[in-house]
Amino acid sequence: MLKFTVRRLLSGLVLLVVVTCGSFFLAHLAVGDPTAGLLGNNATPAQQAALRQQLGLDRPLPVQFWDWASHAVRGDFGTSWRSFQPISEQIALRVPVTLSVVLAATFLAAALGLVIGLVAGQRPGGLLDRCLKLASVVLFALPGFWVSLVLVLWFAVQLRWFPAVGYVSPDESVLGWLRSITLPAVSLSLTAIVLVAEQLRNGLLEVGGQDFVRTLRARGLPERRVALHVLRNASPAALTVLALMFVGLLGGAVVVEVVFNLPGIGSLTQSASQIGDIPTLLGLTAVTVVFVVVVNFLLDLVLGWVNPKVREK
Amino acid sequence: MKRLWKTALAAVLALTAAGCTSIAGNSGAATDVLKMGTFQDVTSWDPANADIGFDGPYLSAVYDALVALDENSQPVPALATSWSFSPDSRTLTMQLRTGVTFADGQPFDAAAAVKNLEHLRAGARSGQAYLNVDSVTAVDPQTIALHLTRKDDTLLYFMGLGRSWMASPAAIDRGDLATDPVGSGPYEYRTAESTAGAQYVFAKKPQHWDAATYPFAGVQMFPITDQTASLNAMLSGQLNVAFANPAEIPQAQQNGWNVSSKVASWVGIQFVDRTGQRLAPLGDVRVRRAINHAFDGAAILKAVGQGGGTVSSQVFPVGDPAYDPALDDRYAHDIAEAKRLLAEAGHPRGFAVRMPMSPIFQAWQPAVQQTLGELGITVSWDEMSQADYQKNAATYPMFIAVIAMDSNPMASVAGRFTTEQWYNPEPSIEAFPEVAELVARTEAATGDEQIGLARELNGKLVDLAWQDVWYQANNTYFSVPGIKVTPITGMMFPTLRFIQRG
Repeated sequence: MLKFTVRRLLSGLVLLVVVTCGSFFLAHLAVGDPTAGLLGNNATPAQQAALRQQLGLDRPLPVQFWDWASHAVRGDFGTSWRSFQPISEQIALRVPVTLSVVLAATFLAAALGLVIGLVAGQRPGGLLDRCLKLASVVLFALPGFWVSLVLVLWFAVQLRWFPAVGYVSPDESVLGWLRSITLPAVSLSLTAIVLVAEQLRNGLLEVGGQDFVRTLRARGLPERRVALHVLRNASPAALTVLALMFVGLLGGAVVVEVVFNLPGIGSLTQSASQIGDIPTLLGLTAVTVVFVVVVNFLLDLVLGWVNPKVREK
Repeated sequence: MKRLWKTALAAVLALTAAGCTSIAGNSGAATDVLKMGTFQDVTSWDPANADIGFDGPYLSAVYDALVALDENSQPVPALATSWSFSPDSRTLTMQLRTGVTFADGQPFDAAAAVKNLEHLRAGARSGQAYLNVDSVTAVDPQTIALHLTRKDDTLLYFMGLGRSWMASPAAIDRGDLATDPVGSGPYEYRTAESTAGAQYVFAKKPQHWDAATYPFAGVQMFPITDQTASLNAMLSGQLNVAFANPAEIPQAQQNGWNVSSKVASWVGIQFVDRTGQRLAPLGDVRVRRAINHAFDGAAILKAVGQGGGTVSSQVFPVGDPAYDPALDDRYAHDIAEAKRLLAEAGHPRGFAVRMPMSPIFQAWQPAVQQTLGELGITVSWDEMSQADYQKNAATYPMFIAVIAMDSNPMASVAGRFTTEQWYNPEPSIEAFPEVAELVARTEAATGDEQIGLARELNGKLVDLAWQDVWYQANNTYFSVPGIKVTPITGMMFPTLRFIQRG
């Protein structure tokens, strides 16, 4: 297990280095000189040159990269080209917003996906199973923002149960925080719930029909114990989907944060990309990759624990 | 399992019960707190780097201006209580308000005003307003003089529009105005309650010298770029003022909201190359007229602009003293006439042109492709990001444009025609002697004579098909009953003095 853990950790670090390095050079080569955009198109060449010097853009690209990377490993991503505020501070303010929504959505996907998957797997062809099939078709056919808008119009505008836009920090009000993340989390999790439930249902049906389950029942094991064995063997696929969902939800958060006007890393990514704020985009990329690596690492550990065969691969 | 469902149900009921009691209803009653959906985040708190466009509300909360504008875009006193031009129009002398202090306790006086104006003159964005200012001097502690290189009829207008915000001299020296504004404005910026990019909170200063102009005890600004989100926030009572989509006006009226609209930008094709240096056909006025005749501005306004605007052929805003309603009929939609003009100019089969394209202009792309195609003009599109579009569009002979207008005739003359701008790097006035002569006469004139000449210049430039204007697009604002927004052409979002009870 230790060898397996170290191997996974190293591959995650390699991914982090490759993605951040690639992002740095691609972004700088693609955007070129940002000073006109930052100062307005009427800026004089002297003003542009002064800003280039201020931002350190007059140095060779490898020097800029070394400067950026040596600070980034200490969590310092420099200052935003737009607001001139420290990027680390901006990201630190916004990560809790996105994580609140994404973790809540993941929790909903795990909890409801587990319950629905279990029931549908135990009663294939039943009402819930048929509803699950219908939901999977409908939800995949509908664009994500449409679902979000319907939820807003119904629960925020018509019923006034939840706010239509904005985020309340838990420091300010725990209830307010829960209310502000409920609709974004629900709209983000709907597809994930169905996916997890379907994976679990299919896994349960597949494992439930195997010889060892019949043997367990023949030996007179209580049905609850049998169900636990079945669940343990059926869960890897659902867990993998759940972890992939978490990563996907980080991407999906961009749309949700725009629709609900949440000050998270998704909306910051959108605004930074619109104005070509490279340092902010690089900081966001690094943070997002860290999330992805950590989640995948944890998933590998869980899968390795659940299924020893994985550790041998 | 049953316990799980009960727990979930209890949680939902608790949340919704709380929701029923704590969300402020949109009862329509005027509120003490202005909650504005401002569309764009503040570009910079430094007045030298701020945009006039959407930054106005933010900056007007924390800063006072030397000069303000009234509802008719006429300059009115603010920190400058009066002013006068010398007989040769080369010196502008301003008397300053006394007893004003900045948030850090520094006094506002002539030295502070000079420091600010030098800062604004040097600013990459604000410097555009002070192109003709040679120097600024303090005459005495309460008087300053701006020494001009030439007569400038736009200076006071631009100062009032958002180019004369006064900041603490100490903050200018520190160089941290971009993130830490220090002004003498009507509101205190509550940084602890604000989140950059998401929510800005301000509290009224009861002792402010112009407190009567600002009726709201508090102001909250939310940059919400998604207009559907903005509308939903209005519907749910979270906002009481919002930048709006004209398509949603019927819904706003159903809700009993106030709707304010005013033309803000012209939409059409900007001809960069009117002399045919880069694309020979564009040097022929008949070709430019043909393109003007080819486009159906009314149809594009309805289909793309959602009816929010006025069909027009000119860049002086509707209602401006130099605006001439008769000119809007100059280029009636007439494909046959367009083809005739093109053939007359020697291009019966059209010609080829490259144009830039970015996501926000894609809405007009099919209309341009189809209309120019009808004339045989084949367009090759170069796709680019929005940031690159503004950087590169003017390197093409022509491009699809949405360009802000000004509510001051001479500012329109300067901004749209005579000075280099990102969208007009080659004003090419000198290449048209009759235009150059008319511009010179207009700039030399004063008062009503100047307005008359600006109107004449407008007619001349429409006749020369200087641009291909399809329509003038409105900016629209919704506000709940009890709050009235007065739009000002030139400000994409009006400053706080234009948001009143009513």
